[in-house]
Amino acid sequence: MRKRYTVFSLLIGFSILSILTLNSCAKKETTIRIGVVGPMTGDQSKMGLDVKNGTELAVKEWNQKGGVLGKKIELLVEDDQHDPKQAVAVANKLVNAGAAGIIGHFNSSASIPASAVYNKSKVPMITPASTNPQLTEQGFEYVFRVCGRDDQQGLVAAIFVSDVLKLKKVAVIHDKTTYGQGLADEFKKALGDKVAVVYYSGVIQGDKDFRSVLTAIKGKKPELLYFGGIYPEGGLLIKQARELGINIPFMSGDGVIDRKFIEIAGPASEGSYLTFSPDPANIPSAKGFLNSYKSSYGEAGPYSIYAYDAANIMLQAIADTQSADGEKISKTIHNMKHSGALGALQWDVKGDVLRSPYIVWVTKNGKFEEYWKPSEASQ
Amino acid sequence: MLLQQLINGITLGAVYALIALGYTMVYGILELINFAHGEIYMLGAYVAIVTLSFLTFSGLTAKSLLLSLLIAGIVSMIYCGAYGLTLEKVAYRPLRHAPRLSPLISAIGMSIFLQNYVMLTQGSADKIFPHIFPADSITMGNATLTYLQGFIIVTSVILMLALQAFTKKTRLGKAMRATAQDKKMASLVGIDINTVIVVTFITGSVLAAAAGIMVAMYYGLINFYMGYVAGIKAFTAAVLGGIGNIQGAVMGGFLLGILESLGAAYISSEYKDAFAFIVLILILILKPTGLLGERVPEKV
Repeated sequence: MRKRYTVFSLLIGFSILSILTLNSCAKKETTIRIGVVGPMTGDQSKMGLDVKNGTELAVKEWNQKGGVLGKKIELLVEDDQHDPKQAVAVANKLVNAGAAGIIGHFNSSASIPASAVYNKSKVPMITPASTNPQLTEQGFEYVFRVCGRDDQQGLVAAIFVSDVLKLKKVAVIHDKTTYGQGLADEFKKALGDKVAVVYYSGVIQGDKDFRSVLTAIKGKKPELLYFGGIYPEGGLLIKQARELGINIPFMSGDGVIDRKFIEIAGPASEGSYLTFSPDPANIPSAKGFLNSYKSSYGEAGPYSIYAYDAANIMLQAIADTQSADGEKISKTIHNMKHSGALGALQWDVKGDVLRSPYIVWVTKNGKFEEYWKPSEASQ
Repeated sequence: MLLQQLINGITLGAVYALIALGYTMVYGILELINFAHGEIYMLGAYVAIVTLSFLTFSGLTAKSLLLSLLIAGIVSMIYCGAYGLTLEKVAYRPLRHAPRLSPLISAIGMSIFLQNYVMLTQGSADKIFPHIFPADSITMGNATLTYLQGFIIVTSVILMLALQAFTKKTRLGKAMRATAQDKKMASLVGIDINTVIVVTFITGSVLAAAAGIMVAMYYGLINFYMGYVAGIKAFTAAVLGGIGNIQGAVMGGFLLGILESLGAAYISSEYKDAFAFIVLILILILKPTGLLGERVPEKV
């Protein structure tokens, strides 16, 4: 009795398995798969979901027009938890699932290790947000970005501090990640001898208490506090700095420019300077995107539009190439002149966009506003 | 600057001490390290955020901040007390007579369960605590003590004194100390051991809930895994003072907070979390019974 039961259940098990495999084989034939990766859970999930939503919107629009290469597009969403180890694991997973292209990752510390996996497997990746210069300096043919680089961003911040604010002493903190420390280093390098860095140190990502490091900074009497990192730490830093009576301006980069920063820091966020690209609301070509994004997901995050354009570029390249072959797609992107929501984009040999202006924003009345634009020559 | 670092450290230490008390009390009676204790602290913060959001919505927070904080605190403490009780009933009581390793594994299991339970029900993103406490501060020389820091230190000290009075003066507290000394003997003289254990868990959980609320207000940001690191640090504080020793836990908590602040300020902020663990290792090597010594029952 018992034996027959085991055989029976085994049979059922096998039949279910075979149905599943048949099903997935059938799927491969009819869809083109695109992967989107970022920190979908955890403290930075807002950024990850912005990227996911932007990509999803682009895919939805393409599917409404009939997909690409006569097939529907299937979006594979993966979570790298802004962890380099997890990033490599999901990169392998996406490659094995047969993704034709990847939108992601978000964090430079995730994008760089994952890019090696994609490059080896000849799957093109376009990151909407990883700004660390090292990503495209690896000589990888399959790696692109639609955002700028931290050497450009750090330079604009440095010019702003030395020429506009005319300060002499700054303190620099970073979150010890590839992005955060990279940006802080670029900023420090660009300051050169013009401005003295009186304090430079890292804090732990995920920590909530920065009072001891801020107290140490207070003793050095800097005139500005610069932070390389993402909004959860950025928001807490400035909030705790104000509580300790540190009333110097705060400056940071694109990882902080999100309304979550204002929510975390509260009134302490007022007057913070942040480097980022110009407001998409002023770009005529972005209007359509901003409206349809708003009706589906609410207010667009800083990197929603980048993800949307990255997905459009990937899908356009597949359509132009008339194949899902990574090698051909990557060649197409290299020679592409794309005009999307962000305006016209073109790539150099490394996979960087040719022009990516950074400007300085300020937090005012609980909102981000454009504040200062460097002259074209200094970019 | 040293004064400011001490203020920062004492505030941090007050919170560690409150959590450490829960560890030490349970260890004193059951010789069990309740690794799910950090999760109770996290739950306290979550319940408080939910209650406070509700109170803010109903308009009470605007009218009386202190009253709404009190309500949120009481709700959260009752809730966490109930969790402590359930934890003991579900995870530890069935293993009361099992080998020592079994309840320990059960504790780790409960910790993982509670973390994931909160992640699934409350979401994985950070929750932002409403900015309700006035951001004013008292300035002393070039150091500042914010009202919130003062509130945390004062509330913690009051709770610790209340605990002291409870264990020293009340019948139940005396029963608790008797049980800690010798479980079998205590039951022979008519003490209901089960009640004592349940009360210990509830008291520890209530203190952890208080710590959770105060931390949530202090940082303004909570998440489902905040209990893990806080739990380990509080455990370190308990070991530092001598596990099982109530005064030791309080002292260990304050000492650890101050050490961490000074270490991050004068040695390196990059290794802030490491200081707690360096302390733990040093204590285990040099004085395994802790600074004040393990609670040594007067066994004859």
